Amino acid sequence: MTRLTRWLDERVDLTGLRRALLDRPVPSGLTWWHTLGSATLAVFLVQLVTGIVLATYYAPSPDHAYDSIRFIDRQVTSGALLRGIHHWGASAMVVLVLAHMVRVFTWGAYKYPREINWTLGVGLLFLVLAFGFTGYLLPWDQKAYWATEVGTNIAGVTPVVGNAVARLLRGGAQLGAATLTRFFALHVLVFPTLLVGLVLLHVALVIRQGIAARPWALEATKDPITGQLKDAPPRTSESGYPQFYRAAYAAEKTGGVRFWPDIIVKDVGVSLAVIGIIVLLALRFGAGLEAPADPTDRAYIPRPEWYFLPFFQLLKLVPGTWESAIATGVPLLLVIVLLALPFVDRRSARSLQRRPVARLALVGLLAVSSMLFGAAVQDAPKKAPEVGRVLSSQERAGRALFLRQQCNTCHAVAGLGGGRVEEDAPDLTEIGLKHSPAWLHSFIEDPSRFHLTSKMPTYGPPTLTHQEIEEIAQYLTSLRGVPAAVVPPKQPEYHDTFPAVASPKEKP
Amino acid sequence: MQASSTGDPVSDPEPARTPRRRFLQWLSGLGAAMAAVLVGYPSLRAFFWPTRAKVAPEHWVKVVDDVALVDIGAPVRIDFVELANDSWVETRVLNSVWVYTEDGEHFKAYNGHCTHLGCGYIYDKDKKHFACPCHHGVFDVKTGAVLGGPPPRPLDELELQVKDAEIHVKYQDFRLGISERIES
Repeated sequence: MTRLTRWLDERVDLTGLRRALLDRPVPSGLTWWHTLGSATLAVFLVQLVTGIVLATYYAPSPDHAYDSIRFIDRQVTSGALLRGIHHWGASAMVVLVLAHMVRVFTWGAYKYPREINWTLGVGLLFLVLAFGFTGYLLPWDQKAYWATEVGTNIAGVTPVVGNAVARLLRGGAQLGAATLTRFFALHVLVFPTLLVGLVLLHVALVIRQGIAARPWALEATKDPITGQLKDAPPRTSESGYPQFYRAAYAAEKTGGVRFWPDIIVKDVGVSLAVIGIIVLLALRFGAGLEAPADPTDRAYIPRPEWYFLPFFQLLKLVPGTWESAIATGVPLLLVIVLLALPFVDRRSARSLQRRPVARLALVGLLAVSSMLFGAAVQDAPKKAPEVGRVLSSQERAGRALFLRQQCNTCHAVAGLGGGRVEEDAPDLTEIGLKHSPAWLHSFIEDPSRFHLTSKMPTYGPPTLTHQEIEEIAQYLTSLRGVPAAVVPPKQPEYHDTFPAVASPKEKP
Repeated sequence: MQASSTGDPVSDPEPARTPRRRFLQWLSGLGAAMAAVLVGYPSLRAFFWPTRAKVAPEHWVKVVDDVALVDIGAPVRIDFVELANDSWVETRVLNSVWVYTEDGEHFKAYNGHCTHLGCGYIYDKDKKHFACPCHHGVFDVKTGAVLGGPPPRPLDELELQVKDAEIHVKYQDFRLGISERIES
């Protein structure tokens, strides 16, 4: 010990703390599957850190939410990466929590004495899903808006209290500004507080009760004197069971395995790998951002985040009269079954081989969820066509910018807009047949490069960023005439010429 | 690393300081540090981005339509509103310059912010100098030099051009409260 640690130790008892938290003997035979709980905690810390930084740049208002997200993506250093990490971290949380739950279930670790910790875990599962649901809305893009519209409508079909629940979620009768502030407050204030509290209780109980031992080791103990095997009482509710459990569990801890560092090194390894994967996914795919939310765009087909897909698919299979019962009944039933499980299943058998009903339930639940998930993926909707063809997200963003910059006050497209300010502005209905995206980009940036007399303003930075100009150029390239129902779209023939050197504009 | 015995040697034996144990402890620390860097580095970069963010560049602004409109011997304040990008919001900002001439031919322009802490200063007609109401900074009208009070440097004089009787000023803000003139 150094002088500093000794000084601290005398005052705050570091040794006692280390012995209570770290230097604990743990049962033998812990597997790599036992690292999932710590990995979930590690990813939660990642979400906490990235979430705090994102919140310093995010504006929870329909006027600014989308623009502030774009600002994070395009202006803030590492902003896009942080959004990606937060996005993929959310999915990782769900995967890890579910996998952790399956591990606990298969080891029968929810049984005596860990019934309460199982119910805390169930609370944490639903809290993680609630995080996902509220976080999904915050970017205020099309996907966010319409998924929340459907999600809150599902809550709205609950018998009797449906309308009240939907209004409570939305902060009003309609999805809008109050919904966004409400979801933001839940996502960054209420849920983190609850989650931290539950996690502390959950971890405190793990430390207090120790990590669950191998199932078969808790089904029979060897008498230390006679060496005879003694079976566990058949039910955990029997009066002799606690005594049996204590002896069997203590015997499992004599293997010399210690929490620090034998178990922690595995926990850290898996957490590091998971975080590495999240960062790679964030670098490769980012978080994505669709066109800004457009409540008037009835053609948009919303999709929930992947972990809600089985439930989403289930609702497609249900006839209308059953909808209300299924939409609220299935989640409610799931909550009740999960919470009641350790109190109902009090048989002392812990190995999956000796629990046929549990085996069947686990396989059945996994099979049904994967089938529904698979069906939902197969059943992915074809997007509704827009002016004859599906626009890419870049083109959609370009169209949104085109409208927001009010290009349509001067330029007409397919008979809409144009002629209000500048009558000479060309009709852009077939602009995609005439010019390449590169030419259009260059032109929008500074029209005087190509036409000295052009009355069009320059849109180069700082008015629009190059990415925004590129989006508009891509949108314009998609404009290749109004398609007749069966005539295939014409192919463009570019005859673009670029000026040799684009001269920077003279300033006075 | 002195672990006192709790009197339960079976469940709580004293951990041996074996090389394996120390290696695993070191490995855990390394892994945790790597994970922290993996997420902490981009987080800190994003959080500290404002310290390196670009500011609005210098730019020319037409401040007077006709030089004949500028009083001789008394400075005039000219306010102008510009569009500016305030993070993700496109906004309008009000800036001002003081224009001064003694002969109607040679002009001087000063940034409208006091060099002390950025308040808008005023022209004291009686005493014929600029006075800042915040902390009583006093500047000379002809040169912008500090005549009194806390300002650390003279007023920021701006480049100025007269073209076709119009006055154009290269508007720019500088860092406040320091004696050197450095772009903000």
